[in-house]
Amino acid sequence: MLVRETARTAWRSLTSHPLRSVLTALGMIIGVMAVISVLSIGEGAKASVEGRIRALGSNLLSVRPARDRGGAVSTGTAPTLVRTDADALVEIEGVTGVSAETAGSAQVKFRENNMSATIYGVTEEYLRIRNLDVAQGIGFSAQDDAERRRFTVIGADVAATLFGRRSPIGERLQIQGQGFTVIGVLEAKGDVGWASPDEYVMVPLSVHQGSLFGQDTLSTISVQIANEGVSDSVQARIEELLRLRHRLRPGADDDFEVRSQTEMLETMGEVTGTFTALLGAVAAVSLVVGGIGIMNIMLVSVRERTREIGVRLAVGAQRRDILLQFLVEAVVVSIFGGAMGIALGWLASIVIAHFGGWEAIVPTYAYALALSVSVAIGLVFGVGPARRASRLDPVEALRQE
Amino acid sequence: MSAPLQNPTVDHAPVVLDAISKIYRPDHPELSVKAIDALSFRVERGEALAIIGPSGCGKSSLLHILGCLDRPTHGRYLLEGRDVSRLSEDERARVRNRHIGFVFQAFNLLPRMSALENVELPLLYAATTNTREKAMHALDRVGLADRADHRPNELSGGQKQRVAIARALVTEPSIVLGDEPTGALDSVTSGEVLDLMDRLHAEGTTLILVTHDLNVARRVPRVIRMHDGHIVGDGASAQIVDELLRESAEGLDARP
Repeated sequence: MLVRETARTAWRSLTSHPLRSVLTALGMIIGVMAVISVLSIGEGAKASVEGRIRALGSNLLSVRPARDRGGAVSTGTAPTLVRTDADALVEIEGVTGVSAETAGSAQVKFRENNMSATIYGVTEEYLRIRNLDVAQGIGFSAQDDAERRRFTVIGADVAATLFGRRSPIGERLQIQGQGFTVIGVLEAKGDVGWASPDEYVMVPLSVHQGSLFGQDTLSTISVQIANEGVSDSVQARIEELLRLRHRLRPGADDDFEVRSQTEMLETMGEVTGTFTALLGAVAAVSLVVGGIGIMNIMLVSVRERTREIGVRLAVGAQRRDILLQFLVEAVVVSIFGGAMGIALGWLASIVIAHFGGWEAIVPTYAYALALSVSVAIGLVFGVGPARRASRLDPVEALRQE
Repeated sequence: MSAPLQNPTVDHAPVVLDAISKIYRPDHPELSVKAIDALSFRVERGEALAIIGPSGCGKSSLLHILGCLDRPTHGRYLLEGRDVSRLSEDERARVRNRHIGFVFQAFNLLPRMSALENVELPLLYAATTNTREKAMHALDRVGLADRADHRPNELSGGQKQRVAIARALVTEPSIVLGDEPTGALDSVTSGEVLDLMDRLHAEGTTLILVTHDLNVARRVPRVIRMHDGHIVGDGASAQIVDELLRESAEGLDARP
């Protein structure tokens, strides 16, 4: 029998019981909808995280002290990153800005309000390199650092916690009991998942390393490069230069690490990818449930239409014609479910993205995946009932009332 | 009445039955039932005949074998000179498609299809072209071309059966098998269907009707009377029917 005829017959038998067909497909609809939503959430979250990483500063390399390897530590002179390292990196070709940073935790207090915060020691370049803008007041100048002025720039959340609705500019707050004048408040960035600039308290690097914490090591040197194309060469030059400055012997491990933004993105991509795969697997279980729903209704349908099968056999249908007819019917139901699921999943992803605060992105492969999975489920769960239909005895089938 | 067949493979008769038996559950002697016992007869091309007998006489089993829906346990069934008694399921489906047209008591039209599509159905299972035109032609032969787009539930009983007859004719089969074709109809619509059958017979269609209705039996030239799996009469319909009525009047077990 022609495939077109078979598909038409299938379509007709499904539209003759519209409610039943929709209920049959419901499992598939929900399953595909769940898969599409999850993939969209994964993709949206990934894009959002990527966007935020980019927002931290474009074309950024960050140099950090190597992780403590424990055990065999060379004594005494193990050089970590210091300010002069940062100054040296400015000279590398392709570098457009260097910011030396250090961090430490301290109590921050304004009158009766106090909070614990991470205090960042930064230089003039910091805000520019990190793409941070001052909403009120001003940022640090080179003089602030050189003259060790007790100035501070605070994040939006810190300002809200300590000062409420009052303007913090010009007020004096206490960091570890030392007085600092607030000269600027950062623009609110919203939640970026970790170390939000909204929670920053920044002071000039010289003050941080001097009276506040008394440590001359740096936590990070951020290096801004001209463009992504020079990333590898700049990274190599940084490593070369720092090994030289730290007097590392050939073969000795680096006592620092240079990470590019691309690497950070890759790491985040892996995290969100795992997350998406996990949720996707859960959603896939509902597809199996949907498949069982289809199998169930197809078995009922075969029983109900035994007489029809008998007539078809009597007029010359072969086993495979009957098999194909019921198989196509199952596949049509599941494709219908898949298509509905895609539409609803797409809507759901828009709604979720709206509340999640990211862009709704349904990856193109998700559509192809959902459709091919629908076909596969229709085939897998339709073949049992279809085989049962095709094995009916014509005499028995015709006798059926 | 059924002489041994000399050279059946070149026999020109469309239907030749040679010592056909049907035994249900032949593997369990205590449960086995012999529905047909060594039946032999032949049907010539263009012949119209009725098979009559009381229920349980084996006429349904015979119909299923004649229609290639079932296989005989023993014996040979030559359809158009070819032994079809040992064919596989799919081979028999092909034979049914090409050589046999069925007309059932309950019409057995598919409810969601139009009259035309119902008639077209056998052609869809055959590798053939112009299925629409052929189906339309068959509908025209039964006088229902103007009802082509109607669904079965929009047709009267007689019209439904005529559509079913068109479906049986559409493949131009060797034989048309009727299983109580008027059993679900009143006398007026029965007459309508029987008139159509007469006309088809006149046009050369080979007709085999299984019935217990003597009015149907009277309309065809030849009647085979069955009892307990055996043929107990085969001849001109008037003679067989009269015989049956006489026995019935004498109080013998002769209820058709």
